[in-house]
Amino acid sequence: MPANSLRHVLDGYKVLDFTRYVAGPTATLMMAEMGAEVIKVEPAPGGVPSRRFPIARNGRSGYFVQHNRGKQSLCIDARTPDGKTILCDLIPKVDVVVENFAPGVIGRLGLGYEVVSALNPRAIMCSVSSFGQKGPLSALTGYDWSGAAYGGVAHMIGEPDGPPLVPQVALGDVSTGVHAMGAIVCALLARERTGKGQYLDIALLDTYFHHHEADVQMASLSGGEFKPKRSGRHSFYVAPAGIFKAREGYIIVFAFEDHHWAALCDLVGRPELTRDSRLANSAARVKNLDEVIRVIEGWFASMPSDEAALAALRERRIPHAPVLTVDEAMRHPHLRERGTIRRVRDRLLGELELPGFALRFSDYPPLELEAPLLGEHNEAILTGYLGYAAARVRELERRGVLQSAAS
Amino acid sequence: MSTENFTGVLDGYKVLDFTQYVAGPTVTLMMAEMGAEVIKVELAPGGDKTRVAPVLRDGRSGYFVHHNRGKLSLCIDAKHPAGLAILKALVAKVDVVVENFAPGVIARMGLDWETVHSVNPRAVMCSVSAFGQTGPLASQPGFDALGAAYAGITSMSGEPEGPPYVAHAAIGDVSTGAHALGAIACALLHRERTGRGQYLDLSLLDTYFHYHEASVQIYSLTNGAFKPIRSGLHSFYLAPVGVFMGHDSYMLIMCPMDHIFGYLCKAMGRPDLAGDSRFKDNETRVKNRAVLVEEIERWLASMPSDEAALGAMQECRVPCAPVLSVEEAINHPHLRQRGTVRKVHDRILGEFDLPGFALRFSEFPNALALEAPFLGEHNADVLGRYLAYAPEQVEELQRRGVLRSEPH
Repeated sequence: MPANSLRHVLDGYKVLDFTRYVAGPTATLMMAEMGAEVIKVEPAPGGVPSRRFPIARNGRSGYFVQHNRGKQSLCIDARTPDGKTILCDLIPKVDVVVENFAPGVIGRLGLGYEVVSALNPRAIMCSVSSFGQKGPLSALTGYDWSGAAYGGVAHMIGEPDGPPLVPQVALGDVSTGVHAMGAIVCALLARERTGKGQYLDIALLDTYFHHHEADVQMASLSGGEFKPKRSGRHSFYVAPAGIFKAREGYIIVFAFEDHHWAALCDLVGRPELTRDSRLANSAARVKNLDEVIRVIEGWFASMPSDEAALAALRERRIPHAPVLTVDEAMRHPHLRERGTIRRVRDRLLGELELPGFALRFSDYPPLELEAPLLGEHNEAILTGYLGYAAARVRELERRGVLQSAAS
Repeated sequence: MSTENFTGVLDGYKVLDFTQYVAGPTVTLMMAEMGAEVIKVELAPGGDKTRVAPVLRDGRSGYFVHHNRGKLSLCIDAKHPAGLAILKALVAKVDVVVENFAPGVIARMGLDWETVHSVNPRAVMCSVSAFGQTGPLASQPGFDALGAAYAGITSMSGEPEGPPYVAHAAIGDVSTGAHALGAIACALLHRERTGRGQYLDLSLLDTYFHYHEASVQIYSLTNGAFKPIRSGLHSFYLAPVGVFMGHDSYMLIMCPMDHIFGYLCKAMGRPDLAGDSRFKDNETRVKNRAVLVEEIERWLASMPSDEAALGAMQECRVPCAPVLSVEEAINHPHLRQRGTVRKVHDRILGEFDLPGFALRFSEFPNALALEAPFLGEHNADVLGRYLAYAPEQVEELQRRGVLRSEPH
């Protein structure tokens, strides 16, 4: 098949999507961004809860739009026999089923993996949950930060003697969605060779714990002697690597490698520090961090502006970054030029800005996608996939088995 | 073909891996965990710089082992014409090429996308960088925290009046690796249909910016009237959602939906709060957050222990969690039972704990037993199997310093 007949890398793949909030919808949104056809199954009558999350305008939620662009909406009461029949009939027509209910709920709906694989042995089914499908915590309800708390990540943010902090962004949900998408596509790759689907159990907790790049092995290899704990604005194992108070705002400097440290000493007019045994290498600088901070923050204070300090760091190629606010990041020329931030269109909200698609393929530019109205695709899906007559769809809408914004 | 012959979903796929540190190695580690054959190209003489990162024991780094289990090590001088020739010959034999040098470096080595694509049109090539291959910041050196800062993520942690904070965990590096893995797998799936490889440009900055699940659209749709900024221990748009002081320590409580807030009121024995007009929906709860937090913390303080408070909340299905330390998480029965944390074996370091493999496949329930390679350990194996070099040829290249190896 020639590449140019495809809209994007996942063109032709079909996904039945039972997800809500962020983690699950991230996985299916990414698939939609890559051309997959995603049927978002929404509970009748009101659809998914995030349709009412802020910002809402004209009854349309920017939050919902962000996470559901490019999906088709099928709004259906899965507890009615007709609703359940429709969902069971759709399963043989799709490649992937994704859900992120609490463990056990999809089974009680009559759509557990045993049912899915019996109806469609080629289907990949992916469950996304807070704590996984099994184990002592699996029955607990949770959101993003629950995973950060149980995964020991919240513990690693903030001052050592202050409270733990959580970033006001859905790190874990988004990353879990990415992990789920990766697993689904790898399972599809395996299916190309084996003809067989399988079941995937992806958890927020596992994803958060996956982010410990250093401290788990450090705690383990030290026999428990080293207890990783949040260390404020600076790394606990390399230096200098942290957030420094500058003249106006905060600037991050990562000059723990010796050649970067030497360039920094030279820049701040203290070349003799490279010969100071207390600061000879990263480990020594971790021990004498107060002195390192004094040197760097003293230099920042002496500069006429943060802009001047940043320019000097840039010129010496010392790894650094200004701590941008979200709105500064959204206006930054690099993020604009690269499409890290992009303008999208919604029929009700008009134009708005959203994070760009983080996967960039040389063969395909990003697709134009619209978020669906509630139940917008009821008729298209039932006629297209299952051969229902339009009148039958209207009859199901009258009986409340299906719901749409228009009905 | 039956999966019985496979060790994992990516069994049979071959990866030429030019990555170091964390973000790039995470991609190829995840592929190794799924059965792919990963040739880690390490630049002679020293190889991956993390081979000396702490914890070090008997010349072996726990950090390096963590990120490089299951890979084959080829330690080679890529600047030597014989070294470059070997690498180009290997490009022709693999499915995937991954690199995370600063933009431009791989091209100066003579292995840019045009070269890779012409040598092997089926190869998928993925570059992982801090700021991407293009744009004004592309040439800047980068680390995890720098991507977070430029994406406006760092500005979202801490008290509004206080300094920003970074997470002491490689949130961006690991997630960028996971993004890259997804992109590579999608490009391979596409190649199975079209026969054609393509080039992928992944960056830490894009990954970090992808995490803004709410604030970008809020800023945009309010035309800048609402400027997202860190809001301390509590969410700026949902309530009650945040870190609460308990009787003994801190805990997370998250009740953004009205019915879930009702569960919390029930757990607290305060049905009156659920009916209170100040707390009737998320919007009013956000507005009256200070009073609400005070009510909740007063209840937490009145409980005999945090455990009792968490128990009462969990009974009522309130989403809540203790803030576990890393060692508490490592030793938690759920994380152990699920394999979120697992014991691995290294030939030098012995047994120790690492994060488990976060992708779980029903057809491959058992994690593969993977070992991290010694420097250049697989020089002879890779050159022999892929390029039919005789052992004497490999020895000759080792003598000339084109290949290197070390017993750790």
